[in-house]
Amino acid sequence: MTAINPSIQPPHASLWLKSWQHFKQDRIGMLGLLIVLLYFLLACGVWLGLWGQGWSEISAQFNQGPSASHWLGTNAIGQDVAERGIYATKVAFEVGLVVTVLATLLGVLLGAVAGFYQGSWIDALLLWVMGVLDSIPFYLFVAAVAYAMAEHVFAMHMAMIAVFWTTVARIIRSEVIALKQLEFVEAAQAMGQHHRAILWAHIIPNTSHLIIIQTTLIFVTAIKTEVILSFLGIGIKNGISWGLMIAESTNDIQAGYFNNFLTASLLLFVLVIGFNFFSDALQDALDPKINSHHAK
Amino acid sequence: MVTHIKFTLIVLTALGLVACGQDDRSAYGTPTSSIINGTKIYRHSIDGKPTSLDPIKASTIYSNFLVVNIFDTLYSYKYLARPYQLKPNLAAAMPTISEDGLRYEIKLKTNARFHDHPAFDNGQGRAVVASDVVYSIKRSFDPKNNASGAWLWQGKIQGLDDWKTQGADYDVPVAGLQAIDDHTLVIQLTQAYPQLIYSLATGFSGIVPREVVAALGAEFGSKPIGSGPFYLDRFDSETAYLKKNPRFRSEPLDIYFEGFDEAKHGALGIQALHGLSPPFVDQLEINFIKETASRWQSFTKGNEIQYTTVPKDKQNTVLMSRNPIRLHPQITQNYHHSYGIEAGFVYHGFNMQDPTFGHASDPEQDAKNKALRCAIRQVHDWQQKNQAFYFGLGTVFPGIIPPSVPEYDPNLSRDSITTDVAAAKALLAAHGWQTEDLPVFEYHVNGSVLQKQFFEQLRGFLNQLGYPNNRIEYVPYPSFGNFNQAVKNRQVPFFFMGWTLDYPDAENTLQLFYGPNEAPGSNNFNYQNPAFDALFEQSSTMQPSPERTRLYQQMNQMVIDDCVVISGLSRNKIHLWHKNVITFPDREIVGGFHLRYVDVK
Repeated sequence: MTAINPSIQPPHASLWLKSWQHFKQDRIGMLGLLIVLLYFLLACGVWLGLWGQGWSEISAQFNQGPSASHWLGTNAIGQDVAERGIYATKVAFEVGLVVTVLATLLGVLLGAVAGFYQGSWIDALLLWVMGVLDSIPFYLFVAAVAYAMAEHVFAMHMAMIAVFWTTVARIIRSEVIALKQLEFVEAAQAMGQHHRAILWAHIIPNTSHLIIIQTTLIFVTAIKTEVILSFLGIGIKNGISWGLMIAESTNDIQAGYFNNFLTASLLLFVLVIGFNFFSDALQDALDPKINSHHAK
Repeated sequence: MVTHIKFTLIVLTALGLVACGQDDRSAYGTPTSSIINGTKIYRHSIDGKPTSLDPIKASTIYSNFLVVNIFDTLYSYKYLARPYQLKPNLAAAMPTISEDGLRYEIKLKTNARFHDHPAFDNGQGRAVVASDVVYSIKRSFDPKNNASGAWLWQGKIQGLDDWKTQGADYDVPVAGLQAIDDHTLVIQLTQAYPQLIYSLATGFSGIVPREVVAALGAEFGSKPIGSGPFYLDRFDSETAYLKKNPRFRSEPLDIYFEGFDEAKHGALGIQALHGLSPPFVDQLEINFIKETASRWQSFTKGNEIQYTTVPKDKQNTVLMSRNPIRLHPQITQNYHHSYGIEAGFVYHGFNMQDPTFGHASDPEQDAKNKALRCAIRQVHDWQQKNQAFYFGLGTVFPGIIPPSVPEYDPNLSRDSITTDVAAAKALLAAHGWQTEDLPVFEYHVNGSVLQKQFFEQLRGFLNQLGYPNNRIEYVPYPSFGNFNQAVKNRQVPFFFMGWTLDYPDAENTLQLFYGPNEAPGSNNFNYQNPAFDALFEQSSTMQPSPERTRLYQQMNQMVIDDCVVISGLSRNKIHLWHKNVITFPDREIVGGFHLRYVDVK
């Protein structure tokens, strides 16, 4: 075993490696990552059919407390609360992934274009669209879109994508405006590279640290929003989600049953906290100023 | 990071505190006197709001509940007698019916007066006369009124439908609806209609004064003037405040005529009211509290509402045993209680015009569809539904004639409500159904947490039949109105509904399957069976008799055999009221009629 002084980096160490070294030192961040990975494994197990498959099965054991056969008890129609909570993890990750990937993609593309053509009519138009979307109260807008598209399977996903991309776009736009003033971009232009190539090959890759941070934030916001929409009855319809479990618990709690409420709330709470720990640590690790300070 | 950890600890502590629920029974407030400065006040509660207080629009139990207290009807029901029995209300006696059952002569009491209103001469309510009854029934047929209760008399009273098509001029007489003099009404029917008297005990037949309706127009629904035991003082979205009608006719209460039974009613203090003239309270507050926790909180506080039904989420708190029903001693010490089966039932129905589950023109497909419906019915576990949603207090019965009507047959085969998964699977297999070709099963419903749970339970039953989850779809609607509209538009292949009887006669449920009543009429099943229709038409003109009951039961069997409906369950309601209140509450057929007999201490 050889002790390594983390402040001493080999000369060839990349920015990514430095960031990882920095991230590893953040115990809370590592705890967050561990939590996120555990949930991800849980979701993968559901996808692979290893567990959570009995979430819709009913029985005559209503509102039972935790037992060997039902670890977290049962709900008002005899369904296993643990199975439902686990299956809902998959639903949460599905929603989080779909929304994160598409909202980030849209935000990066439009933000980069707006930033690269700063001051042009494209930039003005995109800024106007972002301004309009941002001026509408967040949950009201998402709920309205989800309600209006209620017939569509991906209504909720589209509602969230329509809202979330603007934040990414604004951040990427600012970064692109800063990056395009730098020498490496000027060099690429001097070499006669096409605008598209400069954007794709040189500028966007240099915003990757911001993109990663934004994805973690969108991911957890998407999960929270899904829970809220499902709670309101305009989210998940044919599956189960933590939001639906919490909605069910509004009846249970008055009758003195807490299985649904505690399971769904704790699963959501721990994931959100885990993601926040992870996201905070990631921001610190990927912050170029902190990294350069460590390198000194 | 430290902030995160602190936040985590705070939330976990909060969750822990929430989990430490306290026993509901430990927080009962002592009921305070309901007599304030010599004024007797009774505070009732119901779980919904009336949409209008105009009798012709009293289509919900909430509207009906208030309407029968503000307005007079010709007939009502005996306060305590069960099964329900009709009695004269504004009518002086039961009607004189001609031998052919077509002519009804009804004498009115001479001492009834409308509440005061500026539209009357000198602002003082005038006497109620037979022409007011004629006017009030005509209003249901006036197209301008958008009335809900015309179905009760449609095609039944001579000339009334023609009066409507000829312009609904109130000065034009209707041959079958005539005031012979101020206190004699004659109704001439097109065909025998034994349920006519029941129809004259519904809120729809509430008697209104023409001059006040003319003066108020559409406002009449919120400023009603009638001749009932109470008049409306104030009305908002939360509470209706009614005051005793000081000039309500004197009609001493005869508890023995009303069906008093010492064993059932003896402990309630009702005997003290014998010989006294209702209404007994000076003020009546009817609180509309849909949210069960708020209603329970208000009831147990002691100085707010004095009556509630026991909500599902409080049944654990209230009940010590279900069979027989026994209440916790702390409840019985603090409150009076009663319980009884509802006059109605809940059921699942198939839309028989739906090509997938309903009737098909190809006989082979028709048989396949029927097998599918029957198999779905056979896996439906009523006992489990009863336990999960009705605390095991519901009464499960086969067919569509519920236990609350006299024509109910307790010896009818219970096969149609007995779960048999193996037989259901065998039935599907025998008709060539394979799991992979089962049609998509759409469950349309008014979206809510409770309805979603009903859906999930049914999905569980269907899973046992081999129905995969991806072929079972939940289709929620934003409101009951939207859902009902879809049912009426025949867009819903399968639905879950309840039916509350308008009168204690099985005809009221059988008409739900009568062909000509198909949607948008009351036959939401769009069931068309000529043999059923013929029996219905034959029985509809018959007075109650064993022969008519036999026909009813034949129709019931047809509906069971065709697997049109998965039915049914009648809920048992537990009523609780403060011990300083003398009453025997009912929210079913007697409904709001009982409030005139309430007294407080």
